[in-house]
Formats: sequence, structure tokens, C-alpha cells
Amino acid sequence: MTSGPYNYSYIFKYIIIGDMGVGKSCLLHQFTDKKFMADCPHTIGVEFGTRIIEVAGQKIKLQIWDTAGQERFRAVTRSYYRGAAGALMVYDITRRSTYNHLSSWLTDTRNLTNPSTVIFLIGNKSDLDGQRDVTYEEAKQFADENGLMFVEASAKTGQNVEEAFLETAKKIYQSIQDGRLDLNAAESGVQHKPASPGRPLAAPPAARDNCAC
Amino acid sequence: MTSRKRGDDAEISRLFHETGDEEIQGSDSETEDNLLEDEVQSDAEDYEVSDPPVVNPLDIQDVSEKDSETPERASPSFSRILKYYSKDVSKVDDAHKCCNASEVNKRTVSPSTILKREQKWLRMLNNWEAFMSKNYKKVRERCRKGIPASVRPKAWLYLCGGQLLLEKHPNEYEELLQAPGDPKCMEDIRKDLHRQFPYHEMFIREEGLGQQELFSVLKAYSVLNPKVGYFQAQAPVAAFLLMHMPAVQAFWCLVSISDKYLSGYYNPGLEVLQRDGDILHALLRRTAPAVHRHLVKHKVEPVLYATEWFLCALTRTLPWDSLLRVWDCFLCEGVKVLFKAALVILAGALGPAKVRKRACGLCETLEVLRHPPEGILGEDYLMYHMTRLNLTEEDFEFEHQRQTARRRAMPNRSGS
Repeated sequence: MTSGPYNYSYIFKYIIIGDMGVGKSCLLHQFTDKKFMADCPHTIGVEFGTRIIEVAGQKIKLQIWDTAGQERFRAVTRSYYRGAAGALMVYDITRRSTYNHLSSWLTDTRNLTNPSTVIFLIGNKSDLDGQRDVTYEEAKQFADENGLMFVEASAKTGQNVEEAFLETAKKIYQSIQDGRLDLNAAESGVQHKPASPGRPLAAPPAARDNCAC
Repeated sequence: MTSRKRGDDAEISRLFHETGDEEIQGSDSETEDNLLEDEVQSDAEDYEVSDPPVVNPLDIQDVSEKDSETPERASPSFSRILKYYSKDVSKVDDAHKCCNASEVNKRTVSPSTILKREQKWLRMLNNWEAFMSKNYKKVRERCRKGIPASVRPKAWLYLCGGQLLLEKHPNEYEELLQAPGDPKCMEDIRKDLHRQFPYHEMFIREEGLGQQELFSVLKAYSVLNPKVGYFQAQAPVAAFLLMHMPAVQAFWCLVSISDKYLSGYYNPGLEVLQRDGDILHALLRRTAPAVHRHLVKHKVEPVLYATEWFLCALTRTLPWDSLLRVWDCFLCEGVKVLFKAALVILAGALGPAKVRKRACGLCETLEVLRHPPEGILGEDYLMYHMTRLNLTEEDFEFEHQRQTARRRAMPNRSGS
């Protein structure tokens, strides 16, 4: 693992942000383990998850940072934003307060990431439609106004979870192809890895280093 | 309330005898009175009957080899550990063998020893004031050996000053519970109730007694100290205390831990936590330079790996037996015990060069620290290496001053 070919071509760094109890860690678990953890312990500081996905025939390792939601942690979680290629911003469709705080999360994200960072808005707990406190239309409008991708998802049933993570990756990959995302930028959140021998790459191995992360 | 707390400060500060390790080397008898004299000799017997401890000889070459402080003098047991340590090195050749056989890593204490220790602890608890004021070193020594399970709850309550607070404010807990409480705090606490040790029988049932008591303890604290209110890291600490004692006692222990032991950790801005992260990093440079270099190289900041260790006082990090032992010392000696445990975990997990080579990036390194080999989290390994860290009280104080000054000089860093 110290050198030579990797079984993926890129690493994308994601962060998951949002108020406490909106289901950030559960979304991560659903995506990485395809399981719903009802009693998932609340995150203190930061947790991690990884999964290798495929976009346009390229293997991409997603390195996902799951942050603590309580306001007080924001003093330290800010350092986690650094170099994120994707930001999943989560609210709970059954609690309006978590939706109302989105603009402050968005401000943080915009301030602490780079312009090419893809921000994806997720309205979690879509399985609890009966307790809905935020309409789809309203959130969709907020997303459109701010140029965010948006989906309602359920970490419990798994609905749309896969989509949110994959769509974000596609968008990032697209940015690389378009040249909007500079792989050589120090904090692009994307690392390009030498491909395995059987899978030659079109693009030159920019941002290459001797690290598997 | 402020004035009342100030009064408590004086009493509790006495509980934090920050005696330097080097003092241990001095003669015990100087400060002892006749009442306590018999305690000195009898403690040595404790270990005559106990089985030799098996210490996991993980490669932690970075942890100081010098060991000039001879910690075995602090506790006779350590000379025995040292003796068996060298003997057992040949038996276990790598961390994984030890991981697979966690039982191997466990020292057994005979029932008769436990009985003797219980008696000593009861005698000590009955003369608590005298012991704490005149023979703190003895208390510390016994805490380091491990408090017998039967007296542990009471010992913890006394050690942290919870008992003093309880005696001083006998009805306050009930009164605090009558207050309405800040709605946001109450909502936040409720959201976390089912997420504390959810597989522990006490907390497994939604709305069960354990969860109700947890709510009460956290609520009472948030009313008592509205500046802190409720911080998520307090929940595992409170839950862990509730596993040992009635709610009112757990509450006063939580007050003491939040306001004295971890003073400032739960305040908005988390400045103290960040400073202590820097202190840890600086101390690591002395105790395990290679590990320190590795962390610097891969930009692994303390806030990324040590946040949970510090904020939750290791309650979500260590296996049960180790946690009890570390807390025995933590409540006796204060927060520096958490630093020592953290340094041992860092050196144990990233000490072997091959591990560092494999963990050649930020995330890989964090992954190693998130799941260190079980062996290094084992009770005996951890306790032994914590005593072997070559750090004096002055080292802690020096880094404390230095990092505090450093942070003051860079105001922009706060909250960033």
C-alpha cells in the first residue's frame, strides 16, 4: 500500500454537516454499511467512513467526515471543512429548526471550503412523512436559490441515500473533466492516484503523492 | 450562585493535591501521623499474593526508556511488574496475539487481597479528611492500584469532592429539578438520552429509569450552570457515573468533573480543549518523538483525534476494566491522567515503525487511533505505561504555561 497502484483512481473528501440529531451519522452508516443504526451514538468531534464507488468507469474512494452537530462543536469542526470536495448539508424534515439553521451552515461551508466544493442538501427522515414540518417544495426552492443539489432521503429505509452520495461524486467528477476543479490546488478535496495496471487513466496523475489518503 | 461556588473552590482545591511525582520518592513518614503509620507497611503485602501481571510488550520504543523517576517507588507493585515484564516479552511477540487473548493481558487479584484492600479503603473512607490532608500520597498509591469494586462508588464520590458538595447543598438537586430549565437544553438532552451506552441494561429501555435519571442529572446541571447548559460530551460522563451511584451523587460528581476536573472543556468556543490538545501534542514530542513527527507530517491535529478522549474523559474510548482503573486515578489526580492515557495510546498505537509506514496519511492515521490494538487499551498495559511516562508535574506546568501564552499571542486562532 505504500507505493504502486491503487484500486481506485481518485479520492474525494466529503463532509457531512447539519444540526444535532438530523441523522448525519445514520446517513453515513447507511451509505457505507447499508445498515440503519437506530441507537447510533452521537458524534463527539468527528467520525469517518470510506467507500469506493464507480463514476464513469473510474473507481473513486469517498472519504467521508461526519461531524458533530451541536453548535458548540463548530469551534473545532471548522477545521474539518478544509479541503472538502463535497459537502452534504443535512436537515430533518420533521424539525423546522434544523431547516431554519441551514443558511448558517451554508455560510460556514461557503466560507471554509473552496468555490468548486459541491454542496448537496439532504432532507433526512423522509420515512416520517406524517410528521413533516418542512415541505419538499420549500426546501427545493431554497436549494435552487442557492445553487445546491437537493433530495429528500431516509437513512432508515435507505431511500435516496445512495443517490445523494453518488450524485455529489458525479458532479465533482464532472468539475474535474470540465477543468473547473484544479487537481493541483492544495485544498481541492480531490486526490488523483496512479491507476492499477489494468486500468490506464486518461488524465495525467496530478496531485500525486505517496500517500494512500 | 457564584459566591457559593467560590466557597466550594477552596474546599475542592484541596482535593487536587497536585503533588509532583518526584515527591513520591521522598520519605512517606514525614507527613504521616500515628493514625496512618500502619498503612505504609501493609500495602506491600497486597502484591505478595497476586499473580504476576502480564504486560503487553507492544513496541513503544518511543515512550521514554530512561525512566529516571523510578515510579516503582511510588507503588511497590511496579517493581514486580518490571520483573515480570522482561520475562514475558519473549512469550508474546506482537500486538495481535495479545489482542486475541485479552484475558492474558489481565492481572488477577486474589479474593484475600481484594478483601484486604476493601478493609483498607473502608478505614480510609472513615478517616477521609485525615488521609487527604496528611497522607494524600497513600490515597494516590491506592487509587493507582485500583479501587476495589465494592467501595469504588463511595471512593469516587469522596475523591472528586461530590460528597462535600452534597453535604453542603443537601436539597439543591431536588430544587434544580423543579426548575423549568432552558427549553433548548431540554430538547437537546432528550435527543441524546437513547444514545448513551444503548446496550447497557440501565439505558436500554426507552423512557426507562436509567434514561429518566440521565435526563434529571443533565437537566439539573444545565440549570445549575447555565453558562455551560448542556454539552453533548457530558452525557456519556453522566451515564457512566449513573452506572455506579444514585442520581443525586452522580449529579454532584458531574458538577465537580465538569467545573473542576475538566474546567472550561464544555464552555462555548472549546478554547480550553484546543489548548489542551496543543499541550498533549507538545508532551508527545517529548515522550514519543517519532509518533509526534508522524502526526506533524500528516497534519493530524489533536482536535481530530483527542476531542472525544478529553471531552468524555475516555468513557467512550476505553474498555470497561481499563476505564475503571483510569478513572480511579483521574478522580484522584486530575486531568493529567487523561493526558497520560492519551500519550500511552498514541505511543502504543503508532509506536511501531511498520504501523506508521502503513498509516501513511491523515485518514489512515486517524483510523489507527480510532481503533488502537486492544492490547494497548488493556488495563495492565495502560496503567503500567502511564506510570512509566517520564513526565513530571513541572513538565505539565511548563507546557501548560507555554501553550496558554502561545494561544494568547495568536487571537485569530480561537474558533478557527
